[in-house]
Amino acid sequence: MSEYPSPIRLHKQLDAIWRTPPGLARLSSVNHTILGKRFMVLALVFFAIGGLLSMLIRAQLATPNSAFLGPEIYNQVFTMHGTVMMFLFAIPMFEGFAIYMLPKLLGARDLAFPRLTAYGFWCYLFGGSILIVAMLVGLAPNGGWFMYTPLSSRPYTPGINADVWLLGITFVEISAVTAAVELFVTILKMRAPGMALHRMPLFAWYMLVTAGMMIIGFPPLILGSILLELERAFDLPFFDPTRGGDPLLWQHLFWLFGHPEVYIIFLPAAGALSTIIPVFAQRPILGYRAIIAAIVAMAFLSFGLWVHHMFTVGIPHLALAFFSAASALVAIPTAVQIFAWIGTLASGRPRWDIPMLYIAGFFIVFVIGGLTGVMLAMVPFNTQAHDSYFVVAHLHYVLVGGFVFPMLAAIYHWLPHVSGRQSLYRLSVPAFWLILIGFNLTFFLMHLTGLMGMPRRISTYPSNWGWDWLNLLSSVGSFVLTIGFALVLADLVLQFRFGARFRRDPWQAGTLEWATATPPPTYNFASLPRIETRADQLHPGEIGPMLAGGGGYLGFARNGAQETLAVDIATGAVEHLIALPRRSYLPLWTAMATASFFLALLFKLYWLAPLGALATIALFLVWPVGLGAKVDRGPVDIGRGEAVPHDVEVPGNVTILANRTALVMDGTLFASLLFGGLFLLVVAPNWQRVGPLDLPIWLGILAALASGAGAGCTYVAGRVNRFGGSAYLLLLAAAIAQAMATILFVALMIAIPEPTAHAQRAVVFTGLGYAALHCALAALLASHGLWRMIMGYVSARRQTGLVLAWLWNGYALGVAILVLGLAWLLGNSGAGA
Amino acid sequence: MSQGTRHGLVRLVAGFAIWSIAFIVLYAAQALGCAYGWGAWHRPVLIVIYLFALAPLIWLSTRPRPDGTDAILPTAARWANRAALLASVLVFLPVTFASLCA
Repeated sequence: MSEYPSPIRLHKQLDAIWRTPPGLARLSSVNHTILGKRFMVLALVFFAIGGLLSMLIRAQLATPNSAFLGPEIYNQVFTMHGTVMMFLFAIPMFEGFAIYMLPKLLGARDLAFPRLTAYGFWCYLFGGSILIVAMLVGLAPNGGWFMYTPLSSRPYTPGINADVWLLGITFVEISAVTAAVELFVTILKMRAPGMALHRMPLFAWYMLVTAGMMIIGFPPLILGSILLELERAFDLPFFDPTRGGDPLLWQHLFWLFGHPEVYIIFLPAAGALSTIIPVFAQRPILGYRAIIAAIVAMAFLSFGLWVHHMFTVGIPHLALAFFSAASALVAIPTAVQIFAWIGTLASGRPRWDIPMLYIAGFFIVFVIGGLTGVMLAMVPFNTQAHDSYFVVAHLHYVLVGGFVFPMLAAIYHWLPHVSGRQSLYRLSVPAFWLILIGFNLTFFLMHLTGLMGMPRRISTYPSNWGWDWLNLLSSVGSFVLTIGFALVLADLVLQFRFGARFRRDPWQAGTLEWATATPPPTYNFASLPRIETRADQLHPGEIGPMLAGGGGYLGFARNGAQETLAVDIATGAVEHLIALPRRSYLPLWTAMATASFFLALLFKLYWLAPLGALATIALFLVWPVGLGAKVDRGPVDIGRGEAVPHDVEVPGNVTILANRTALVMDGTLFASLLFGGLFLLVVAPNWQRVGPLDLPIWLGILAALASGAGAGCTYVAGRVNRFGGSAYLLLLAAAIAQAMATILFVALMIAIPEPTAHAQRAVVFTGLGYAALHCALAALLASHGLWRMIMGYVSARRQTGLVLAWLWNGYALGVAILVLGLAWLLGNSGAGA
Repeated sequence: MSQGTRHGLVRLVAGFAIWSIAFIVLYAAQALGCAYGWGAWHRPVLIVIYLFALAPLIWLSTRPRPDGTDAILPTAARWANRAALLASVLVFLPVTFASLCA
């Protein structure tokens, strides 16, 4: 052991590199442990706000003919309750948990893009604050958390209430988008050496699938929000049926996101359950392979059910049958997981502790929610129960059962990891019973009020319809529930203050996060482990001291660099060394610039918005300054007698994978736009008499040729560089060509007469704008590659800048061709009619 | 990375990727057929798409059973692909009998 420094000395050396200083410097933190905790604390603050709003709702509905809240305030309160709970609590809560936990669970020192984590957090804070401030001044959204058009369109919501939702939520979604890319890449590339995919703990599998779902699921909502804001701000008619739009397009785009969203929330919670249950069953999880297959099945099937939210809008029987069958079928992979958990407990030696109480609560509540979900999947029943309190009961059983109960189990399981102290248990048990009883009293009765015909979203009701006592009991239950949550909060505070300290792994768990010291050090592991078996059957108590003593990979501090390892996606073989960027204020400044863009749009200062966007882009361009290498260094020592190259010298590095992932996400948004255009063409009213759209074809051909030239130049530049040639001129030519394509697409947009006259023109106008934006981005990426080359960051081996230029230029070309195809198709739609 | 392992990862999502594509194509064909009056051709077109989607799923679901510890992923993939086949048979079956445009 003499070759290793003492654990204390190694800790001091690494902490000096990774730590975030106190005071204002905390604002520069990019550390995943700190940011994960910030995400979770902020999410719990929003949970408290959402809970207070629900108290107001139940106070209003406790008695008939109540005048406690007027209808307008009630509309804002229930809209904000749903919005806060879904967008500001549930999603960020699991993001924060994953941000905190995944690197520790996978055996890494941080996430792939620490600055992006910080940027996401600031966007979440600022975007969420916009919504809360708007509520405090009485301008909160008031059209329901799903913002259906035409209610949310300008004629029916003329104030800024709907804009607050559209812009605030889109701003917050930046954090979801960045987290999705980051988690996806981190799970695939930044595991401990030897941790092949088939050795990954199930939580990582769940989060991998969840991140994949977010990559595909969020863009339709973002596009829908952009289109609705364009309609509200600039009168482009996407949802106005009098001008070729269709309110159903909004419902499709919203629920294309909205239904997978339920599973996006449930899967991380299920991942936590799959991690906790084996610990308390004292045996490995049953059905590891079946669970992986079930997660994949759930993820895909969840994208095929969105129309079950729209069963009553008038859809042909065949389409109803598709979505009804898929909605019922998704219960099967869910049941596979439930039976795997029950089987694990049944075949193990279960020991009861606080997390297990909440797991029992989860089984009861979630199974009831799942069964009512199968009922609602059946079209005849759905038609009867649609928009009634039965649906309110169902969704709360699914979301609270599927997320809040597992979250509370996870809090009691992992809080000792965060605090370094164990629970006192005095308040834990009564808190659980208050929550379980309060929840069921509140929401089980809503099944009955719903079946008795009480519709959702009404602010009051007459006293002679038989709903009085059920509503009163629901309200009493909700206050019992709130007392339970207050006790949990007090319990957690007491744990931090008075809980007994422990050394490592108090639950005798088998996953790597318990191999860190508790609370965890800034760098997680003083050295990184080698994994030779399934990573949920380890012995953290033995591994931890060995790693703290520098016995694993990278058990040293080198050149002040934040070093961690990347592995082959499938086998887990060590592939390269990553030097992560240090702490920086740039994410905060960039998020503030982004906030200026959104606030300018919100307050209709449209001259200011482009400046905010330009400032954001300019700040993003500063991010890579100083990162990378100016010489080829070849393989470097990583300990244990092994050497690997730096990430910049490897073609499959995390930056390239992240950009590929971002392009998939961007492509999904573009596909949603194409779907929107084609949907309106085929389904929307008032397209029969629309005339052909005469656009100068030569401009389109020139734009496509210019974009093609740009893409070709970047592709050839990459090949030339790989063989040692000079690619300066090719990159310059690519940038110029894409800039020309941008100008030509803008010229085409200007050539459209009256884009506000009809959805046909509005869709083509927006599509051309999307193409112009992506040609501009392609020009920027080509220029960036050129700049990196001039500064010496590019060589035949260090080709990341050129690969990125090719990826974005190739994508721009694809967009250019498809947008012109869409313009041609829609432009000629009226010709033959 | 071994080819087998990489294929295991692709196969894990292959079946449901085919299911998704078939779902989109069938839903689009249903809407187009109603909008543009495909008449008597509408249902046969949908049935052909249905059968066309089942063929690769049947092939994926009948791959040889993998062995060994490295077989965890291929086994999960096999089960996922069988689930995709089952989902396709059940979810798309209504193209054979349900009312197409009303």
